[in-house]
Amino acid sequence: MRLLTVGGVIAYRALFNWATPSMFVGTLLVAPLFQLLFFAYLGRQLGVADDTFYIVGNAVLSATLACVFGGTIAIANERRWGTLGHVLLSPRSRTLIFLGRALPYAGNGLLIAVFTLTVGSLLLGLRIPASAVPGLAVTFAVGSLSCACFGLTLGALGLRFRDVWLISNVSLALMLLLTGVNVPAEHLPEWMRVVGGWLPITHAASAARLLVAGEGFGAALPSLWREALVGLVYAVVAAVLLTLFEAESRRRASLDTL
Amino acid sequence: MALAIEARDLRRTYRTRTGWLNPRRVAIDAVRGVDLDVRRGELFGLLGPNGAGKTTTIKMLNTLLIPTSGTARVCGFDVVSQTREVRKRIGYVFGGDRGLYDRLSGLDNLRYFAELYGVPAARQKRRIAELLELVGLAGRERDRVEGYSRGMRQRLHIARGLLHEPEVLFLDEPSIGVDPVAARELRSTVAGLAATGTTVLLTTHYMAEAEELCDRIAVIAGGEIQALGTADELKHYAQGRRVLEVQAFGVTDAQVKGIDLLPGVREASVEVLGTSQVLTVQSDAAVDVQADVLRALDGVRLGRVTARQPTLEDAYVTIVNGVDRTPATVTA
Amino acid sequence: MRVVRLVALGTLLHVKQFSRSQFEIATALIIPLVQATLAVYLFRAGTEPHRMLEAAIGAGMMAVWSSVLFGSGGAIQTQRWQGTLEMLMLSPRPPALLIFPITLATAVTGTYAMVATLLWGGLVYRIPLDIAHPLAFAVAVPAAILGLGMFGLLLASTFVLVPNANAVNNALEYPVWLVSGMLVPVTVLPGWTGPIGAALPTTWAARAVRESVTGAGPVWPSLGTCLAISAVCLVAGAAVMSYVERRARANATLALA
Repeated sequence: MRLLTVGGVIAYRALFNWATPSMFVGTLLVAPLFQLLFFAYLGRQLGVADDTFYIVGNAVLSATLACVFGGTIAIANERRWGTLGHVLLSPRSRTLIFLGRALPYAGNGLLIAVFTLTVGSLLLGLRIPASAVPGLAVTFAVGSLSCACFGLTLGALGLRFRDVWLISNVSLALMLLLTGVNVPAEHLPEWMRVVGGWLPITHAASAARLLVAGEGFGAALPSLWREALVGLVYAVVAAVLLTLFEAESRRRASLDTL
Repeated sequence: MALAIEARDLRRTYRTRTGWLNPRRVAIDAVRGVDLDVRRGELFGLLGPNGAGKTTTIKMLNTLLIPTSGTARVCGFDVVSQTREVRKRIGYVFGGDRGLYDRLSGLDNLRYFAELYGVPAARQKRRIAELLELVGLAGRERDRVEGYSRGMRQRLHIARGLLHEPEVLFLDEPSIGVDPVAARELRSTVAGLAATGTTVLLTTHYMAEAEELCDRIAVIAGGEIQALGTADELKHYAQGRRVLEVQAFGVTDAQVKGIDLLPGVREASVEVLGTSQVLTVQSDAAVDVQADVLRALDGVRLGRVTARQPTLEDAYVTIVNGVDRTPATVTA
Repeated sequence: MRVVRLVALGTLLHVKQFSRSQFEIATALIIPLVQATLAVYLFRAGTEPHRMLEAAIGAGMMAVWSSVLFGSGGAIQTQRWQGTLEMLMLSPRPPALLIFPITLATAVTGTYAMVATLLWGGLVYRIPLDIAHPLAFAVAVPAAILGLGMFGLLLASTFVLVPNANAVNNALEYPVWLVSGMLVPVTVLPGWTGPIGAALPTTWAARAVRESVTGAGPVWPSLGTCLAISAVCLVAGAAVMSYVERRARANATLALA
């Protein structure tokens, strides 16, 4: 357990290139807030949905940048800096090591989501029932964690494919569309809804909406379980990919080129 | 005779902040008062160890850096206030393989810089063809630069530096990382340029390059010019000395220090060459130190032992070793 | 004449350099397609399902702004990383003339996305290319590109003065889309954003292009305003650029080391 947390925090500081204060504020706090405002006003203008829909959805979504990039960075940068070989050769469980790497990013995502929701609600005048707050905190945490696991999967893919940043960037853009945060799911074609159902954030966003609507934690629980399941699936996929690529690199003796 | 480059008491201090939580201002005096006079058509060498101030000096002369104090003129124009006039007349080539548009062809790179450097449109085509021929890239000019070898990139750099037929060419360590054959070709290209009347200021830390090419050489170290003259004149710094070279395996620093203190010894230094070391001992010509040196090396396995006359390299070592090499000063 | 030649050749070569990076091209094409799709569904879900073509073109204009924002905002830094900044600055030309072709190239490459979103809209969503004033459209798009390229010079020169300009870059994408009404003019915004929008060349560029597509207004006043504001930006950018060059020579920040 100590390995999971301490190792994670150190790697987080070492590998997080946006770790300067201004970069953090500009990229991770201000940018998602503007994204929220953009879609909220667009929604108002086009009469798609009300502010609550956009504020809550985009607050959950605001964690994606930090979490998806974070998860990708956690693995991809190790390769870039040539430290991957050392990590893979460590006798500890690799899955645990990388899961530990993802944790701080998820925590960061949670922080961002809370910030975005708070400021977004203040700016646009949304009142959140106090009873919903604990449930929302859990929802944001689950969403961030599942997002970070998704990032880990992308990072693991990055071990094989050079243009992992392209994949991360496109994934982020796709999440704007497919998670049903900005276009209500009923307006999306069936196949997009299915894909969205297997992306992180989708279920967390619907859980958050139920909570803000005052439906109570019980009503949100099924969505939360689904979100957690999606995250778990990505964590397993990431672990399988890492094991696979590691075995392959040993066979080809190409650890350095990993 | 008119001067191509004249510098008076050039100084350059770099100020940087280090630390984030506890920032400190650090000022580094990279160049501390350089005077230079380079005649038109001269091939002038600036020789010095890494960090001696060579590149800083060149960048002050070619307008990329503003001197902290002092003045410099190139072709009679001030490098701070008359940059455009200076830039029209100079070319700059630096070592290494950066500074090119990698995804463009060599030809595109040259076309772009020909336009930027003001080569008349009607002359561009012929000029570029001439230069491709000169640097041996003819036939490869349509390939993307990302596919070029280091030597080819270096030659493309040179072609670019010559596009506008500069009166003064600054060559900053052009042979760095270039293989020996390419370096030889490079030297002949540079010699050819000088023969056509171009003034060349060359920085290098390769002794042979400086000795072969340069009319005059300035040895710079610690941000100051320590010695100036022709290669033969510089050798006087080591005159009255003789040199003992001992091939050895496993000489310790303590032993070298001990040898340095022997009577008659002026300098002692060790260089690692493959699996062996070469101990070079400079001594006064009148003293034969060989017996003392070998006694000091008692117990160390030795190879060839030779005594010879001093070379430019010995002179260079003498000059550079006399300099305090710690230019950093902290100003709180 | 020489200046026009220099800018034209420079722009062409920078477009070439940019276009040969698979990563940049893929990012610059795929993400706008996703955004165009998003716009299409948003319009359909809302009250404006008949304005599909505007959604596609709006997404294209958004991509042009992203390209200018990231490309121009980081232009000087990119040249510094490539080691080409010193080589550019050694040219006996005003520094603005060396950077402007780069910022113009970032606007030009933004049009790839515009073409892509229109094709995407036509092929996937059967959006017909019913442009009200084709001639005006054919003029407005290149002129808007030119304007945004000029605006880019101001971004390029001021952003090098801002510490951590990347952070500013990342934050400025959405607000300009919103305030300029790139996808759709947003009338529900708070009143104080109006003057900001009116001062941005992006607003007038988007408006001119939209007017040429819908025929909802005369194109030329908007286009003229766009170019006038852009020209002011170009002059201001050139002045800042000269200051930046001198400062960089004094502070030794032209080279990476």
